[in-house]
Amino acid sequence: MASVSASHLILFIASLVIAAGVAGTFTQGVSRLSQGIDDQSLEVADEVRTDIEVISDAGSPVYNNSSKTVTLLVKNTGTSDIPADSRFIEILLDGQYRTNVTVTVVDGEQWRPNNVVRIVISSADLAAGDHRAKLIVNGDEEVFRFRT
Amino acid sequence: MGFSVSGSAAIIFVGIFLAFSTAYTASANGFERVSDANSAVDEEALERQNTALSVANATYDAGNDTLAVDVVNEGTTTLSVNATDLLVDNTYRDDYAVRRVGADNSTDLWLPGERLHLEVTTPTQPNRVKIVSGPGVAVTEVL
Repeated sequence: MASVSASHLILFIASLVIAAGVAGTFTQGVSRLSQGIDDQSLEVADEVRTDIEVISDAGSPVYNNSSKTVTLLVKNTGTSDIPADSRFIEILLDGQYRTNVTVTVVDGEQWRPNNVVRIVISSADLAAGDHRAKLIVNGDEEVFRFRT
Repeated sequence: MGFSVSGSAAIIFVGIFLAFSTAYTASANGFERVSDANSAVDEEALERQNTALSVANATYDAGNDTLAVDVVNEGTTTLSVNATDLLVDNTYRDDYAVRRVGADNSTDLWLPGERLHLEVTTPTQPNRVKIVSGPGVAVTEVL
């Protein structure tokens, strides 16, 4: 009889250990997934809230022929703050990715909703004719067409 | 054997319960965050649809180098004076000599039907003036 109780005890402990292992793995997996959903929702909400508008007057000169710079004024018309840093603003000028870009907020300290930034694209060297600049901020894309 | 089955079933049940409570909290919070953002964007879009501006007058006085612009809020939204931007020949101007709504120069509210009067000093005759309201609706005037 003693051997039966001992084997029952061993089986009981083994089943508890296995159940704890299964439950632990499952909980860990689901919590990792939840963390992913949480992070993703933050990203998506930020993307949805981001909206920018190029307010430069295309009828006035945008391109400075002597300094070879293109100056764009961009307004934050969304509902979230955007870092006013060229690392967060992708600029394509006539399809070419530009890196020598300076961004300055012209009416405040940070690029909050309603604030305007001045984006200066240096060494642009554009020929006379039609051109387009594309700005991508947080998934929001804006195209600005102008003539030089 | 009965204890083993019920013991392990209880542990697994508790595990599943904990996992689903975490997953439910995360997805409910995430969903709420995104739907809040969507409704904020919808509000903005409605505001933009209800915004309309028109330039009543834009004149340059060469005698005292002053550009005066009068803009009327022709929409149904209350706009912010501080959020309104003025571009003179593509140059951003915020050094207003005069900025008033009607006769009030301290208010930030630009109500429907009211006239915003802006004056800036420019040494030369400008060609184009652009006024951009807070929601992004803009008007251009060629002098």
